[in-house]
Amino acid sequence: MYTLIHGFYKYVIQKDEYFVLILGLDNAGKTTYLEAAKTKFTKKYKAMNPNRITTTVGLNIGKIDVDGVRLNFWDLGGQQELQSLWDKYYAECHGVIYIVDSSDRERVSESKETFDRMIASEHLAGVPLLVLANKQDIPDCMGVHTVKPIFNQNAHLIGARDIMLMATSALMGDGVDEGIRWLVDCIKRNSIERPARNHDDNL
Amino acid sequence: MGGLLSYFRGLLGAREMRILILGLDGAGKTTILYKLQVGEVVTTIPTIGFNVEQVTYKNLKFQVWDLGGQTSIRPYWRCYYGNTDAIIYVVDSADRDRIGISKDELVHMLREEELANAILVVLANKQDMAGCLTVAEVHQALGLDALRDRTFQIFKTSAVRGEGLDQAMDWLSNALQARK
Repeated sequence: MYTLIHGFYKYVIQKDEYFVLILGLDNAGKTTYLEAAKTKFTKKYKAMNPNRITTTVGLNIGKIDVDGVRLNFWDLGGQQELQSLWDKYYAECHGVIYIVDSSDRERVSESKETFDRMIASEHLAGVPLLVLANKQDIPDCMGVHTVKPIFNQNAHLIGARDIMLMATSALMGDGVDEGIRWLVDCIKRNSIERPARNHDDNL
Repeated sequence: MGGLLSYFRGLLGAREMRILILGLDGAGKTTILYKLQVGEVVTTIPTIGFNVEQVTYKNLKFQVWDLGGQTSIRPYWRCYYGNTDAIIYVVDSADRDRIGISKDELVHMLREEELANAILVVLANKQDMAGCLTVAEVHQALGLDALRDRTFQIFKTSAVRGEGLDQAMDWLSNALQARK
């Protein structure tokens, strides 16, 4: 009897778990975005002071509950030498958020090349992609209309996966929840291909 | 008002954070501990047992335990795992031969239930030596890409020159405060 009730209780409170990678060049605002996402979706979350966020060499994690599912974020370092480590996470993720620094015109082509290398990976085939033109709070940055055509060029690499480009300011928290809700919808739809992980499964 | 309140709460209820410095023998753990505490490079001998010191960094108090790293005494590390807030894992980046052993010890340690919530800082130490491993190499050699549910960060350090320790402590105090 206990087992039955316990099992039912677990069934009720258990949420489907999905994993989302946050990628992009160094200084694009990945960790700031993660903090913004945690702030939006976690009650009473005390975010890290954005001024004290430094270059990530390693991993930052975050868990949020959105629309009945749990999202686990992996925020990885973006420096060139660390990009070779990204693909270790590809096979296990359910969605990718790729962040672009819209204020950095000089590196946007480098960001695009990195993006192309990433989406060419077979381990990411079919995984929903959210591309964010970040730092919209900086005056004179590139708008969505400038960034979008740059990242839309390689249709054959993008293939049939869901993709969306949005403007955000992670620092101000603008555009953060819209993007995440869109991504959650796509991830749920894609869960036939990449099923959710449950608490009981061992990682 | 809220800011003021939390300021006072910070003054009254600041619990000392408990930090362990671990790593193989000769990685530079004791040098790092005393560099953090007194700001000087002291002459050290291999630690048998432990050194414990209170370290204050930007008004945050840490109780830092530096445990001996020799093979025969590594099994005793686990006696200190309870209530640990963060682990500083020190790697001798110039010691390519033993990085595999260092990885095994790290993997073994991170499996411990008591350390499930501890934040991990990896110090790729001895960056002043020629031919040492880069950050990405240390990341790979330690198998850190297998970590999925723990926040961690790697820093290049040279304890004898005092490089990189400030950034590491800065990040750590930030991460510990955000976690509270």
